[in-house]
Amino acid sequence: MFRCRFILPLLFVLAAASWNLSAQDPALKETFQQAKVLWGTQGDREGASAKFEQILSALEPKGKTLEGEWLQMLCETYNWLAVLDDRTPAKKARAPKDLEALLELNPDFEVDRNLTSARLLAHFEALRTSKLVRVKLVLEPEGGTLTLDGKPRPKGTQLKYLSPGSHRIAYAKAGFQPIEQQVDLALKETKSLELKLVRNSSTITLHTSPAGVEILLDGKSLGKTSGQAAPEARPLAEKAEVSLEQLAGPFVISDLAAGSHILELRAPCFRTRRIDLDATYATPFQDHLLEAYRLEPSRGALTVNTTSPGGELFLNGTSQGPIPVKDLQVCSGTYDLQVRFPAGGFSQRVEIPEGQAATVLARPKARMVFLGLEGTDEFAGRDRLQRFLETLGERLKTLAFTVIAPGEDTQTTLARLKASKEAELTLLARPVPGKPIHEVELVVSTLQGEEDHSVVKPLEQDPLEALADRLNRIPLLSQPWGGLNLLDLPGEAGPWVLQADELALRAGVKTGKAITQVNGKPVANTAAFRQALVEAPGDRITLSQGDAPLQLTLTQQALEIPLNASNLCYPSLLAELRLRYLAAKGDEAGLLRLNQALALMHFRMFDRAMEVLRDARVVGSQGVSQGTLDYYTGICLLRLGNVYVPEAIQAFNQALKYPQATLFGPEGPLVAPLARQALDDLKP
Amino acid sequence: MLLFPSRMRSAFLVLAVLATLGAQESDMAERLFRSGERAYAAKSYPEALETWGQLLQQAPTSGFAAQALLRMANHQLEQEHKPEAALPLLERVKTEHMKTPWAADAMLLRGQILATQARKPQDLRDAVGEFNRVVDLFPDHPALQTARYHLGLAAKLQGQWARALQHFTDAIRLDPTSPVAPKAQFQAAEVLDVMGDLSGCLRLLQSLRNQFPQSPEASEAAWRIAQRVKFRIQKPPLRSEGPWPQGKTKWLKTPTLLSTNANGEIVIYQDDLDQAFVLRGTELTAIGPVCKSAKALALLPDGTPCLLSAKTGISTAANLPPIPVAGLSNPSGLFQDAWQNFWVSDAKAAALSVVEPTGTLRSLPSPATSAMAALPNGGAVVASDANRSLLFLDASAQPRLTVPYGKDLPAPFKYVVALSADPTGHVVALVDGDFEGVVLWGPNGSLLRFATFKELGLNGKFRAVTLDRQGGIILADRSNDLLIRLN
Repeated sequence: MFRCRFILPLLFVLAAASWNLSAQDPALKETFQQAKVLWGTQGDREGASAKFEQILSALEPKGKTLEGEWLQMLCETYNWLAVLDDRTPAKKARAPKDLEALLELNPDFEVDRNLTSARLLAHFEALRTSKLVRVKLVLEPEGGTLTLDGKPRPKGTQLKYLSPGSHRIAYAKAGFQPIEQQVDLALKETKSLELKLVRNSSTITLHTSPAGVEILLDGKSLGKTSGQAAPEARPLAEKAEVSLEQLAGPFVISDLAAGSHILELRAPCFRTRRIDLDATYATPFQDHLLEAYRLEPSRGALTVNTTSPGGELFLNGTSQGPIPVKDLQVCSGTYDLQVRFPAGGFSQRVEIPEGQAATVLARPKARMVFLGLEGTDEFAGRDRLQRFLETLGERLKTLAFTVIAPGEDTQTTLARLKASKEAELTLLARPVPGKPIHEVELVVSTLQGEEDHSVVKPLEQDPLEALADRLNRIPLLSQPWGGLNLLDLPGEAGPWVLQADELALRAGVKTGKAITQVNGKPVANTAAFRQALVEAPGDRITLSQGDAPLQLTLTQQALEIPLNASNLCYPSLLAELRLRYLAAKGDEAGLLRLNQALALMHFRMFDRAMEVLRDARVVGSQGVSQGTLDYYTGICLLRLGNVYVPEAIQAFNQALKYPQATLFGPEGPLVAPLARQALDDLKP
Repeated sequence: MLLFPSRMRSAFLVLAVLATLGAQESDMAERLFRSGERAYAAKSYPEALETWGQLLQQAPTSGFAAQALLRMANHQLEQEHKPEAALPLLERVKTEHMKTPWAADAMLLRGQILATQARKPQDLRDAVGEFNRVVDLFPDHPALQTARYHLGLAAKLQGQWARALQHFTDAIRLDPTSPVAPKAQFQAAEVLDVMGDLSGCLRLLQSLRNQFPQSPEASEAAWRIAQRVKFRIQKPPLRSEGPWPQGKTKWLKTPTLLSTNANGEIVIYQDDLDQAFVLRGTELTAIGPVCKSAKALALLPDGTPCLLSAKTGISTAANLPPIPVAGLSNPSGLFQDAWQNFWVSDAKAAALSVVEPTGTLRSLPSPATSAMAALPNGGAVVASDANRSLLFLDASAQPRLTVPYGKDLPAPFKYVVALSADPTGHVVALVDGDFEGVVLWGPNGSLLRFATFKELGLNGKFRAVTLDRQGGIILADRSNDLLIRLN
């Protein structure tokens, strides 16, 4: 680290002007210049007076609130007007008033001696002496902040005159013990004041490029660099290889405790700098000027993929346009990534490391709105349960959770949600009548009306544990499949191949022989084999049956959801299946329809299950496939009553056309004997 | 958390019932019910029953009354072992609390009791009716899955394999997390085998092992898979492992009958000791009744051996008199079917005798049989030396399959000396004649494995055979007083 250490004779000027004047500022400055030219070069007194009057009317109302350049302009305008009025007989009487106003505005203003006549000058000084007290101020060290009656004075301005009476004068500088004095001033006396500060700590001054860098000392934020460096900092800028304009104003760290310290410079989109300060920075007390630190940009790439159409990407709430996006250049760091889909939403906190790429697969999640705890009846644990319910979203992994808008009632919210399709699910808590009330019914419902009811006790340890578990559980809808039916047999070195489909046989798999290795690792049994398939990268595995390794292509085989599992919440499962269906194509879409139908069968909505199945088609004929769909179509039709028996017979006959179709999964029982039995049952 | 996913309709019916009661009465009913529960948990049964009785008098329409009736029925069943006494209590839940979810529990339990009491297929009708009512009236009730499972068992008992499969798959589909799921899956797999779908059976059994590795059904599935694969797919040539347990010779007293119990332990009848013994490790433990010159051995579901002799009939327990079987001259086989009837075969009688639990004896037409063994389909396999064929009978003793002696063998045999079958339907026989040795058939009568004693290097007087659970065949050599294991 380059270190530049010396005692500063003078700190750089910190003041940064802040103007309250608006878009007309350039015009006003122009008018001011024109007025001076009119009088100075053209002798147009009236024209000049008119222009100065314009400036006066613009700035005078702001009076003492003006600072810096504008205060100076107003003071000069009074000075010019006093001179011009003094030379115009009709306005001559106004000249002293101009000077009076000038003095009131800035007691320390020095009139322009080249412009102002001696008479007028004398009048001005006499006026000042009659109204103000002369002050001789000694400040040590220089470069601190002087505060008069609680108001800091701009850096670089002198204090020579004060109104008579009592004043509080304070002086402070980083690294020194501040001083405050009360002074009582009387007219016609000259008051001498000495404000000498005593050193009490070291200071560190540094510059950064760019501005806006957060400075942390030992992990504690001290603020951000701001403004622009003064010309004195040019050597520092050059050394840091940045222009002066790119360098922020000085950031001063005072009250540096004894010992070593760690300084961190952080800014979004830039690489964090870490600076070790040894103990010599703190003691002896000194002012240290560090080098200018140029932070290096830090960026990464973000890729967001999706299989669902219509998603819009938001990073920290700012739209980044539609997805998918590939290698979107963004500042490195942590983002709240959100994708808004036409149905469902996706959110994830994502870390994008510098120079690296992050990839996110955005799949829409079903959205659940908590409609509230019904009624106003008080019961033990009501507030506790309410808190549990309102924070349920923190425990949900597969759902996006929001709470009903304040002041909105349940019915209005429901109507709004149905109209806007902003959510797929609702949660309502309803106290079960009783004296006292000690149970609350929780109703999870889709907007289409499929409901799940459960009852909790408000005072139990975690009343929402079971619901959260059920909401988070999505059963597997498919499993990787190598076309092999395997058995665990005693004495075999690995899973034993009972059956192999055509692809596997063509790949060289031998039935009646054990598999000993998958992807070069020993495989002890069928459970290990299945796990190896789940963990296999890509869609191919290498396996060995004790001889030459062979390559096997993996497919995804569909699984059925159970019809009445106590650990599932069927409305949320149904919402999830509906969202997945929106992005699915081909057989996947057909099989999602099958599982949707099964979820509807859970609610005994066989007519709606039928509608779903009617639209479903699957090309595959093995495992859970078209034959399975036809079988369940027959089951649903049977449940709709005798009137649909002919259609049911047709569906079961259709199922018989797929002798390899199974129930539950690829290892489940064949559909055919069940379809045959169903047909037998339907025989008159 | 009380969980009623989509089952709240029934729960609300209960709440509705409760709401009609005065709050006071409901409160009293609950307190009486809980008090009875506490007493029952402390095994103060009379106090518990009295408290629940009081509840039934004071709040007969309360939901707690239904629960109390169920508890009382369970008490009769589990503590008093009086299922008949449980039935009226369950009937009362059905009639007085039909709209409550406890009616489903009552129907299910009633169905189970009736199914256990059934002594013939027609007797299952009432049980099936109860299970069907659970299915139809309480489609959201947790009892639904168990009802489906029992419907499957009832269909299986009646030999309605496809219907049984349908019910078992319906049960599996409902809730894979319930303890009923592995049971249903196991039964479905076994039914598939009976229906001739061996690979389907094996797939489902393996899937059961993968899904429920800790369940009792998984360990049952393990040996059944191994047995089926070894016998029907791998079919390695038979070879003798010699005396078994290893090195044990001259350690028995004339072993003449063998069987394998549900735990996979071998049961040996020693003729000189007139009793059966169970072999645990290398130790023999006497079990069951004493019976002189027993000619057939059958195991009851609890593993108790029953012995058949011409003189005394069927001996079932040491403290019970034997069941006489009229006209028995040369008994050759015995087993108890699913209806608790004893099937008795006689080498000199052209019929099978069926002894019903009531003691009634009836005859089933059959040729004279030299040996008989039970099959998992509820029927039996019988050897008819006179006809030179094996007959695979169904549960109503109708021949389903006939396998001529010696079919597919290098030489025919003339006599079947001993016959045994395992729960997976494999049939093993000791045969004599031109082919003297051991023959193993599959459930469909196909020849699986065979070897002559000469090929096996065995010399002895083999009089009994059984299949163990590790794919071995155990032979009893009465002249050398030992067992031989073939693998």
